[in-house]
Amino acid sequence: MKLKRRDFIKAAGLTALTISLPASKVIVDSIRREEAEGASLAPEVRWVKTFCGMCGALCGIEVLVSYGRPAGVRPILGHPQPGLCGRSSSLRWLWDSPLRLKKPMKRVGERGEARFVEVDWDTALNEIASKLRSIVEKYGYKAIAITHHDVWSYYMPLFSYLLGTPNVISHVSMCHVNGTVARGHVLGAGGPPTVDPDYENASYLLLIGRTLSTASMGVVNRATSNEKLRIVVVDPRMPEVGFGNVEWVPIIPGTDAAFVLSLIHVIIEEGLYDAEFLKRYTNAPFLIKPDESPLTEADIIEGGDTRKYLVWDLKVKGLVDHKAAADPDLLYTGKVKLKDDREIDVKTAFILLKERASKYKPEEAEKITGVDARTIRRIAREFALYRGVADDTWYVSKNGNDYDNVRAILILNTLIGNIDKPGGLCYAESARFPSIITVRTIEGKRYAETVYDARMPEELFGDVGAPRVDRVKYRLTPSTFDAILDAIIKEDPYPIKALFVIGTSPIMRDMNTSKVIEAYKKLDLLVVIDVLPQEDVDYADYVLPDTIFLEREEIASTKWTLHASVQVQNRVIDPPEGYDVRDALWVMFEIVRRAFPERAVALGWSSEYANYKKYEEEFLHKLDEGIISKLVATWKLDKEAFTRELNEKGYYILKRKEYYVRPYKTALGTPSGKIEIYSLTALANKLDPLPDYSPPPAYTLPKAPNEFYLVNGKGPLTSVHASLMEPMKYVGDRSIWMNPRDAERLGIRDGDLIELEGIDTRAKAVARVKVTNRVREGVLFVYSQMWGRRSKLLPQNHFAREGINPHWFSKDYVIPIVGGGASNSSVRVRKL
Amino acid sequence: MRLAYLWDSTKCIACMACVVSCAGSNYSEIMRFEEPNPMRKWLGGNIRVVIREVGRPELRLVSCFHCDKPPCVLVCPTRASHIDRDTGLVLLDETKCIGCKACIVACPYGARWLHPTTLLPEKCPGPVCIDIIRGGRKPICVSVCPANARDFGDIDDPNSSISIKISKSKSERPLESLGTEPKYFIVKG
Repeated sequence: MKLKRRDFIKAAGLTALTISLPASKVIVDSIRREEAEGASLAPEVRWVKTFCGMCGALCGIEVLVSYGRPAGVRPILGHPQPGLCGRSSSLRWLWDSPLRLKKPMKRVGERGEARFVEVDWDTALNEIASKLRSIVEKYGYKAIAITHHDVWSYYMPLFSYLLGTPNVISHVSMCHVNGTVARGHVLGAGGPPTVDPDYENASYLLLIGRTLSTASMGVVNRATSNEKLRIVVVDPRMPEVGFGNVEWVPIIPGTDAAFVLSLIHVIIEEGLYDAEFLKRYTNAPFLIKPDESPLTEADIIEGGDTRKYLVWDLKVKGLVDHKAAADPDLLYTGKVKLKDDREIDVKTAFILLKERASKYKPEEAEKITGVDARTIRRIAREFALYRGVADDTWYVSKNGNDYDNVRAILILNTLIGNIDKPGGLCYAESARFPSIITVRTIEGKRYAETVYDARMPEELFGDVGAPRVDRVKYRLTPSTFDAILDAIIKEDPYPIKALFVIGTSPIMRDMNTSKVIEAYKKLDLLVVIDVLPQEDVDYADYVLPDTIFLEREEIASTKWTLHASVQVQNRVIDPPEGYDVRDALWVMFEIVRRAFPERAVALGWSSEYANYKKYEEEFLHKLDEGIISKLVATWKLDKEAFTRELNEKGYYILKRKEYYVRPYKTALGTPSGKIEIYSLTALANKLDPLPDYSPPPAYTLPKAPNEFYLVNGKGPLTSVHASLMEPMKYVGDRSIWMNPRDAERLGIRDGDLIELEGIDTRAKAVARVKVTNRVREGVLFVYSQMWGRRSKLLPQNHFAREGINPHWFSKDYVIPIVGGGASNSSVRVRKL
Repeated sequence: MRLAYLWDSTKCIACMACVVSCAGSNYSEIMRFEEPNPMRKWLGGNIRVVIREVGRPELRLVSCFHCDKPPCVLVCPTRASHIDRDTGLVLLDETKCIGCKACIVACPYGARWLHPTTLLPEKCPGPVCIDIIRGGRKPICVSVCPANARDFGDIDDPNSSISIKISKSKSERPLESLGTEPKYFIVKG
């Protein structure tokens, strides 16, 4: 009897969700058996290999599809980045979530009221196209902007040409901008993870403002398969990885650079550095003139080469080009006679670093960082003696001084010579994945050529070549969205009137929420393409429902691995019945076909693709073919064998990591070709060539007893999409963390409500306190990009409305030249 | 054969893959319920998360620990709760359960919860995992873990991966002082 009761209920539940499924015990039992065994006992049950899209890490997973529904998920074993976390486990909730945006919608109320009517795709696309045309007529193509995160990011350069605008600006200023700029300056590398720790072979991993569990579970898999690895986390809050066998060093927010410079000081003072590595592969022995620039051959010989950097060679006891020196002196100071007979003092870059770091003796650093001097000394020694590796950072746009933190961290790795060696900080092999679009000159004429061989002639480029609004203000930035807000609000440097928000939520993502909303209200056209009702949707003129990763296909490079690898995202399942959703790629082409047909045609679009089936069958096929044929040509592969293995395994490893290449055999992308502990690029951009600590400029420091740093961070559940799914009601933490000593002092108990008031922004919000030792005294912590949801399209009692969005309290501080934002802030607390 | 679970607390990163996957795969029929597990105010799944703070915060994942001397079996008036002869796992024979809830009260770990519609006392392994285990494979919580923090297998077999891990590490069992002899090993170092 009881068995039937359970099975009947289960069948009834399934019936409610999948109308076509008969509610019989036989079917339920067979589903259960097949789901359990994962074997294709029936054609309706199958595992499909793909990669996860619940966050931007793109881990390799297999999804179980059972009778037309996603029913389970597991990592692809053997994949270079095997996946899975609480986010991807939530995908079965996401697929047919009642919250999903199901039809195109058009605004009928005021911006922010979230009053919409459903319209058909033709109406929405035609109206958007017509508005775009009038904006372009008046302000030019560059008045259109797109912002995005990881979803659809491969296609963004194509969208740029499609719309004729340079202003495609992502989330990066709030994420890894400082790391990306610093990696370029010190290591000649690029965005994450062009360099990354060799987790599976490391012996000692220092995570400063970074934790393993925030995104790529492939990284977690690699680190946890390494039995000898010791981990030290330096963070104002204890991240989840701290539950394990790791050391957590609670640090005062915004003082990481002082901490790392102190480690550097100890390593130099105690002679724990790798002198041979520094001499040969870095610019540490370069001689630096009083004007901060390096001494070159051109300084001492008429007609000399400015790229020949001079060092003092201990063997010949004279000035020699670094490349030719037998034994460059790291510690040289002296006088040099210039070609005009002037005599100047020079000293090595290494001495300058030594002098800089000596400002941060452990006892001094303790006063700044709150980390005691003995701990700093111990970690410095352990790091050097265990041949440690310090993670090169990721989500660290926090305090406005983060660029220097990352530079210091990269120099710390360099000092002990643990670069591109097993267990060190390694350069990732590139998959040499073809760009979606490249500019080529053919017979003297410039074309933008797509990966599937469509060609747009230069006369159709529109304003693509115009200066991008963020680069006008922050010339080194990979992307600074705040500049788009200034262009909308102040028309500085020129007006932006239309914004496409694709698969991202600037309200959850970007600092100073009120500025984002002010800009939204000023736009002539705001189009949001997304899956769920993010708060940004409430301000949109048109809301267009996107597919989720289970419903589309893509070939991509594998991100978080040192091997060169590609992976395939298979179409796991169709959208649920009644969910009239379309790929953003189709949407953008169809808008442009209606607004500026010649642009769409030039980029290989045909009006036949307006038929979504044709788009799926023909256009996507053409795209995949283009990518595959270029990969096959680049890597000289057998096409059939390559595609077969890619499809069978879900991934294809093009080249395994080869150690000891950069900087040993291959010059780096820095001006000197060496690792630059003294950055010549920074110098050329009027930045300090060496890292230094300065107090966080992004917010007023807390002083009074009821004032706190408000820091934020990510965890293994962080995702603006997954956080709205039902499991997060229970496993998601929506509280504000407060240290027990602070709580006692203020008479606050666990679970109490407090009011927070931004010291700089005056924003106010109420939240529930969790009294916990997981956060340092004087600091409050909250998970970012999860809670404090205010979309009126969410049910009134939705759990994600609880908690706060830390960006309500942050200002719009941007690091000059570098373009990094700052999401931390300071707040005043009042017990309610 | 005595099947047992292992959780390596030194490796777990609290990513919730096991917690959410257990609920989604074993109890999909209640996944959209407003309160799928009102008794525990939790997901409709077999793994609960408890963070203890006496000094350094500690994570605990609470589920059925498959005791060799299980209080839930001792108190069951109909022998619905029993130790499975083939596997050593504590299982429930639903045909014998009269819904008295004695097992729920008796479990010192709070591992059991009341299914909101069948009113059966649910516990690990869930219905899908039972079939997976009978098929000779590891349950969902083990197969989804990205952190190599979980294992499952026969502790009577010295060559099983779980036996090797237990022999190579320092481990403890939950609340050993209760004398319930759990077949659940928490690796501590």
